[in-house]
Amino acid sequence: MSDTTPLARGPVAVATPVVRDGWELDARVATGPLTLSDESPLAKVHVRAPFDGASRAALGVGLGRTARGDLGTGDVLVVGSGPGEWLVLGAPGTASALRASIEQRLARTGEFTTVLDLTHGRALLRLTGPTAARVLAGVCAIDFSDAVTPDGAALRTSLAAVVTDVVRDDRSGVPSYLLHVERSSGQYLADALLDAGRGSGLEMTGFRGLG
Amino acid sequence: MSLLPTTRRGADAPVSMRLGPQPGEVIDRRRTIPFTWNGEDHRAFPGDTIASALAAAGVRVFSRSYKYHRPRGLLTADYLDPGAFFQVGDEPNVRGAHRLVEPGMEVSSQNTWPSLKYDVKAVNQLAGRFLATGFYYKTFIKPEPLWPLYEKVLRRFVHAGAITPDPGEAFYDHRHAHPDVLVAGGGPAGMAAALAAARAGASVMLVEENHQLGGHLRWGDAADLAALGELRAQVAAETGIEVLTDSVVTGRYDDNWVGIAQRNLPGVAERLIKARAGTLVVAPGLIERPYVFAGNDLPGVMLSTAVRRLVNLYAVRPGQRAVVMSANPEGDLAVADLERAGVEVAAVLDARERRGVVRAHGRGGLRAVETNEGRRIEADLLVTATGWTAPTSLLNQSGDRPVYEPTAARFRPDPARMPDNVLAAGEIVGDATVEAIVEHADAVGREAARRAGRGGPAVTIPSLAPRPHPELFTAGTGGFVDLCEDVSAKDITTAVAEGYDSVELVKRYTTVTMGPTQGKLETVNAVALVAAATGKSIAETGTTTWRPVYAPVTLGALAGRPHEPVRHSPMQPWHDRHGATPLVAGQWIRPEHYGDPAAEVRAVRTGVGIIDVTPIGKLDLRGPDVPKLLNLLYVNKWSKLGLGRVRYGVMCAEDGVVMDDGVTGRLGEDHYLMSTTSSGAATVWEWVENWLQTAHPDWQVHVTPVTTAYASINIAGPRSRELLGRLTDVDLSADAFGYMNVRQGSVAGVDDCVLWRIGFTGELSYEIHVPASYGLHVWEQLMARGADLGVTPFGVEAQRILRLEKGHFIVAQDTDGLTQGYTAGIDGLIKLDKDDFVGLPELRWQRERDEHAHLVGVRPLDGSIVPPEASQILDSSGGIAGRITSSRMSPTLGRSIGLAQIDRELAAVGTRVTVRLPDGRDITVEITDAVHVDPEGERQRV
Repeated sequence: MSDTTPLARGPVAVATPVVRDGWELDARVATGPLTLSDESPLAKVHVRAPFDGASRAALGVGLGRTARGDLGTGDVLVVGSGPGEWLVLGAPGTASALRASIEQRLARTGEFTTVLDLTHGRALLRLTGPTAARVLAGVCAIDFSDAVTPDGAALRTSLAAVVTDVVRDDRSGVPSYLLHVERSSGQYLADALLDAGRGSGLEMTGFRGLG
Repeated sequence: MSLLPTTRRGADAPVSMRLGPQPGEVIDRRRTIPFTWNGEDHRAFPGDTIASALAAAGVRVFSRSYKYHRPRGLLTADYLDPGAFFQVGDEPNVRGAHRLVEPGMEVSSQNTWPSLKYDVKAVNQLAGRFLATGFYYKTFIKPEPLWPLYEKVLRRFVHAGAITPDPGEAFYDHRHAHPDVLVAGGGPAGMAAALAAARAGASVMLVEENHQLGGHLRWGDAADLAALGELRAQVAAETGIEVLTDSVVTGRYDDNWVGIAQRNLPGVAERLIKARAGTLVVAPGLIERPYVFAGNDLPGVMLSTAVRRLVNLYAVRPGQRAVVMSANPEGDLAVADLERAGVEVAAVLDARERRGVVRAHGRGGLRAVETNEGRRIEADLLVTATGWTAPTSLLNQSGDRPVYEPTAARFRPDPARMPDNVLAAGEIVGDATVEAIVEHADAVGREAARRAGRGGPAVTIPSLAPRPHPELFTAGTGGFVDLCEDVSAKDITTAVAEGYDSVELVKRYTTVTMGPTQGKLETVNAVALVAAATGKSIAETGTTTWRPVYAPVTLGALAGRPHEPVRHSPMQPWHDRHGATPLVAGQWIRPEHYGDPAAEVRAVRTGVGIIDVTPIGKLDLRGPDVPKLLNLLYVNKWSKLGLGRVRYGVMCAEDGVVMDDGVTGRLGEDHYLMSTTSSGAATVWEWVENWLQTAHPDWQVHVTPVTTAYASINIAGPRSRELLGRLTDVDLSADAFGYMNVRQGSVAGVDDCVLWRIGFTGELSYEIHVPASYGLHVWEQLMARGADLGVTPFGVEAQRILRLEKGHFIVAQDTDGLTQGYTAGIDGLIKLDKDDFVGLPELRWQRERDEHAHLVGVRPLDGSIVPPEASQILDSSGGIAGRITSSRMSPTLGRSIGLAQIDRELAAVGTRVTVRLPDGRDITVEITDAVHVDPEGERQRV
C-alpha cells in the first residue's frame, strides 16, 4: 500500500505550481484583460438521458443552453451539451457527491440514464476577455457574436481541429467561454489558443473556479 | 536638339522628381527610410510605395517584360501595375506600386541578366517575329521525348522571382467573420454604404485594397479631399464598422461565403479571412483602361490615374514634357495636375474630338509621340485617358452577367440577375457627382442592412447611369494588349485568323488576361479586338469568365496556421524528462523507447517493466442490453461473461474483414468497460453508436468514450505482482485475481482504479487504469517503489517485440483491408453458431471456401537477417505468395522472428519459402507457429 498523498495534475503545463485541495495549480495572475485558465479541477459530471424527458426537466436545461443552480452539492453549472447529453460542472472535490446526487434525482424519473464522473477525463479551459470571440474566430468557424452565441449558449464544434464543447459563461458582463475537450487534447488546445491570441495579448492565468 | 531636359545629371546621377508638399499626399516628410534598389542605396518617405520612391528618385525603367524583355515603367502606379513586379528580399513578385517601403528593404528587378539596364534576354525582341502566338505549342510539341530538355531550358526564361525555403518568422493566418454586411471597396460609395448599413444596426466589414480609404477622392481636388475627410471621420466614429485596409475580397462563393486576403498585420505574412456575409455590397469603383497603340509599353506611357496618384498621393513629378490624350473629365484633371506639378504639357489631344495618339517612339523610354494628325511631338510622358472598365468579378461570381453599353464603352451589372444578398454601389453602376454617389450608396447600405435581417421597409435605390463615353480601344497600329503576358494586338488577330474565334479560345491560345492582373486592364481591349477581327459586336463577343480569385492569394494564406492536433498522456512530462524517443502514433505522442528497446524487452522477461498505454481506446458501456451489443459486434459469445471477468474479442465489418480487437471486462451488473486498439478508438466508438442508433435504438445501452479519463499503465514481468502489490489494496494472489479478470480498487492512494490481469507481452502482467489526473503520481510511485526490483520503463518498440515473440497480431499491421477473420487465425474465436453478428455471412462463406491466406510465424534460416516488413514471399514459380507483416530481432531468442500472411498451400508449419528482400536478395524462411515464446502460456498464467 502507498503511504503518499496523491497529487492531481491538470492537462496544461503549470509554470508556477502551487498545491491546493490535492491539485497542482498554476499560481500565475494575468495582468491583461484577455486570459486563458485551466479549469480542469472543476468537478465534471456527464449525464446521458432521453433528449426531452423528465430528466431534462430535473436538470433544468435543454440542448444548447446552460443554467446555474444547486443539485445538492452547492453551485453548479448545468450545460445541455449534446442531444440527450448534459455536462454538470461543480466545485473541485465535489464530483463524487454530485454524481450521486444527480443519480438519485434522475432515478425518480424512471428513465434510462447514465451518470459518469469525467472530472479526470476532460480538460476544461476558460477564455475570458472583451476580445475573446476574436481569438476563437482564429480557430473556429462559428459565429460568436452576441446575437448568435449569447451568454448561456452551448454548442459542440471544432476548435483548431479538436472537437470541443463551447459554453458561453460570461463573468461580470465580460465575455467568457468554457472550452471542454478530451483531456489528452488540453495542452494542444491551450497552445493553439495562445498562438491565435498572441496578437491580442492573451495570457495564461491561474485557476479561477466556477463562481 | 532635344526639347527634353535630361532626367540624369551626368551618367548615373538621377534628378529628384519629388515635388513640394501636396494637399492629399500620403507620405510623411518628417523622416526618411533607407532601402536598396538593385544594390544601390535609396531613401523613401514613410508612406511611399517602392515604385513612388524610385520614381521620385528619377528611375523610369522598373522591369523587363515577360517574353521579350522589353523595358517597362509605370503604367497604373497602383496594385495592378504590370511594370512594377519586384523581388523584395526573399519574396518574389511583390507589387511594387502598392507595397510600402520598409526600412532596410532590399528591392531588385526580377529575371534580368546581367542587369535591368542591359538584359541579355532582350534578344528575344529580335526574334519576336518568330515568337508569335502559339510559338511554344507549335515548336516544342515534338519530338515529345525532348520535352523534359525543353522544359529545363524554358524555365530559365520564366518571368518570376526566387523563393526561399526558409519560411522566416512571419506566419500565415486564418480568421472567420460573420458580418451582417460586407462592403468590397472603400471609396466614397463603399464608405457611404458601410455607414448607412452600420447606422441601420448592421455589423459591417469594410474592405479596401489600398492602404487608405477613399478611392479616387484621395487624389482629387479640395472639394474631394473635404468630402473624403468627412467620410473618413464618420467611418472612424462608427463602432459598427470594421475597416480592413490593404486587404482585398478574393472571391464570392455560395451563400455569400466571401474570402478576404488581409496583408497589413504585424508579424503576419498574410491572413485569409473567411467571411459569411449577410449581404455583400460590391463597390470597387472603376479601373482605368489602357489604350492599345504601337509603343504603348514604353516607359513614360501612363494612364491618367497613374499621373494623378503620383502627383497627388506621393508628390512625384511623373515626367518633364507631356502629351495627354483625354476622352473624359478625369483626363482633363490630369492635365491640370501636370501643369501644377511643373510638367510642360506639350499637347492635349482631345479624343472626344477624334484626336489621338497612334504611335509612341523611343528605346528604353518614351522620346516622341505621333498623333493621328501626323504630328510628332517630343515628350517623355504620354498620358492616356481613354475609358474605364467595371471590375465586375464579384458580381459575375454571384451569378450576374454584366451587359455591355456601347454609349458608355463599358460593361455594367445587370440588377435583374443579382441574388438578393448581393448589391452593387457607386461607379460600377453609373457615374455621378460625389454627392449623388454617396446618396446612391447610402440607399444601398440601408437596403443591405435590411436584407441582412436588420428590419425596416424596402429601400428605394436611386438610379445611377453611366455617362456617355467614346469607344476607344485601339489606334489600329499594333501595340500590346496584355503587358503582363506580352500579348500584342497582332497576336489577337492572328489567333482569330487561325480559327480561335471566341474570346475564351483566344484567351487560352494567346494567354491574354492570364497574367498577374487577371484581365482587369486587358479584358475589354481583348474583347474589342476579337470583336473587330470576327466582325461581331462587343456585346455579341462577350467577356471571358471572371472566376475567383480576384487577386492573388499566397498558398500560405490558403493553408493558414497548421492545426494538427497532438494528444498527450498524463505521464508525458516524465517521458520527456527521462529521454524517451517520441513516436507519433496517430495524434498521440508516445515513448518509442528510452534508449535501448532490447534491454527493455529483457527487463520485462526477467524482472518487471512498466509502459504507458494510455492511448488504448476505452468505452464505458452501461445498460441491461450491453451483452446484446457485444454479441452483435464481436465474433465470439458474451452472454455469460461473469462479474469481474474479462474476455478478448475481435470485431469484423460486414464483409468479415477484421476491424478491431480488444478486451472487455464486466465491472458491474450492467456496467462494462471495453478496450479497443489505440488507433481504432474513435472508429469503434462511431461503429458502436452507429449500430445502436440506426439498427437498435430500442436497446438500453449508453456508450461513453473514456479513453483519456484513465491513465493506463501496463506492469509486466515475473515481478509485476510483487511491484503492484506494494501499492494496491486489491488482492493480487493467483487464486483471488486470476488471468483474464478485472478488479476495482486503489493504487498508490488513488481510488476508483481499474485493474486488469491480461497480457499482451506474454508475461504475468497487470494493466491499471488510473483516474487520469493521478496518472503521473501513480507512475512515479511505481518507479519509486519498484526501484529495488529494477523496474524499467519500456516503450512501444519493446512492446511490439514482446507481443511478436508471443504471436499476438496487431490490427492494421498484420491484417489489412482485405483480411477476413479466418485469415487472422482467430478460428477458435469465431462462433458461427451464434444467431447473428456483424460479418457472420461473409465469415461463414470464407470458411466454406477454405482458400484463404493464413497468418503464420516465420523464422529466417539465417537468424541474423531480419526481413523488412512488407517483404514479399515467393512461391516456387516466383509468384507472390504472401508478405512479411511483422519482423524483429528477438532479444529473448537471439534470432530474427516474424509474422506473415501466406497462401494456404504454403502455410503448414515446417514449410520453407523464399522471401525477396527490398535490396533484391532472396532468403529462405521457415513457417512456424505464430507463437515464438512460451506457446503454452505458462508465464502469463502464474
